Amino acid sequence: MASISAADVRNIVVACEAGMGSSVMVARQLAKQLKKLEISVVHAPVHELRETPHDLVLVHRGLSHRAKQAVPDSVVIIFDMFLGDLNIARLVGALESGGTISDG
Amino acid sequence: MSDFIPSGTGTQAGWRAGLQKIGGNLAGMVIPNIGAFIAWGLLTALFIPTGWLPNEEFSSMVGPMILNLLPILIGYTGGRIVHGQRGAVIGAIATVGVIVGTDIPMFLGAMIIGPLMAWILKYIDKVLDPITPVGFEMLIGNFSLGIAGMLGSLLGFLAIGPIVSAITTVLGNGVSWLVDNGVLPIASVLIEPAKILFMNNAINHGVLGPLGVVQAEETGKSILFMLETNPGPGLGILLAFWLAGPKILRGSAPGAIIIHFLGGIHEIYFPYVLMRPLVVVAAILGGATGVATFMVTGVGLVATPSPGSIFAYMAVTPPGNHLGVLLGIALSAAVSFVVGWFILRLSKVDATEADFEAAKKRTKDLKAGK
Repeated sequence: MASISAADVRNIVVACEAGMGSSVMVARQLAKQLKKLEISVVHAPVHELRETPHDLVLVHRGLSHRAKQAVPDSVVIIFDMFLGDLNIARLVGALESGGTISDG
Repeated sequence: MSDFIPSGTGTQAGWRAGLQKIGGNLAGMVIPNIGAFIAWGLLTALFIPTGWLPNEEFSSMVGPMILNLLPILIGYTGGRIVHGQRGAVIGAIATVGVIVGTDIPMFLGAMIIGPLMAWILKYIDKVLDPITPVGFEMLIGNFSLGIAGMLGSLLGFLAIGPIVSAITTVLGNGVSWLVDNGVLPIASVLIEPAKILFMNNAINHGVLGPLGVVQAEETGKSILFMLETNPGPGLGILLAFWLAGPKILRGSAPGAIIIHFLGGIHEIYFPYVLMRPLVVVAAILGGATGVATFMVTGVGLVATPSPGSIFAYMAVTPPGNHLGVLLGIALSAAVSFVVGWFILRLSKVDATEADFEAAKKRTKDLKAGK
């Protein structure tokens, strides 16, 4: 189980299958929320995760297994809903308040 | 947003991840090139003899684009996924062999030979790299790619092209049989559940799209572009969740409707169905209704509407087909809505309670900082 300290998270990548549709949408929403923390949020296809520099991966549950296969050592946060997801809200909370973030 | 939606647990493994990976790679070769498909689709819709503004000179670009440009782009992208820029170049070279060896749009052939030749080149590079003397990198690099590329184009011309051509013919005949016998709507039984499992791109761009362009090239339009991309069922389902779904999901449904129907990001409604799996019945019935309507009214699209937004749909609908297309979308939305509404109503009482408990537990966990 990978984990990372919230203070060390500078780059987040949101992954989806093509890296052009849903991940862009989620990344833009998240980028807005994290702007004041100066954390950059990019998007990528799952198969390019390994080549995309990141501290933390955000991916939908449907693709989570492939994401974990691609980058087994990275922290992979899984979400279910593209709007108003509790896990994403928790992530933002954790990034704002500090502490340790681990897979889930 | 005031209400956050609690997440499930666990990851998804096994055959689904495997299938997704294969399908994802197929879709990964097509989706980055959708812009070129749109340019071709618009040229076709506007300038072919049955288009909005028939123009013989402009329409002369339609053939070369679909037969040459689009397959080469797919082979190029497929090669790039496997072995970077060198893979992309050899993928493009070999795709030409596949194209010239046949007379149909060779999307499937490009999807095979592009990554295959890139994979072979990757191994050639691996062997040559350690034995290349200093200063000979460029010479050996260029000629290994050139020679392997030439052989790859021969392989494409002699083997891959004819084989894929035969397979495409068989699959195409199968689809024609389904259409002629009026059983094409049954395809929704497979397509809609697979969509919900995030295989939407694999099905559309990996299978239906390549078959659709063959048909579109012959007859000017294809119903195959509409089987997976119809935004109607998702619209009906989201409406049903908005009006009859669990309270916690209702708040986000209107936003999801806009993103789904206007923006064309279908992924947004899959999680709703995954939370109430029985609703997939509504998706299937709505999808089948749409396909049946498209079939009866005899409509098709000139290219894949991607993303599956109502705007993309209207843009690739050929003249005279708009009524049937809109009717099919509207009817499938209506059927999905009614069926979904009943399913959600009937399973409502206990579900809402369970949800509420789960949500409460989640909130507690959240507060405890877990």
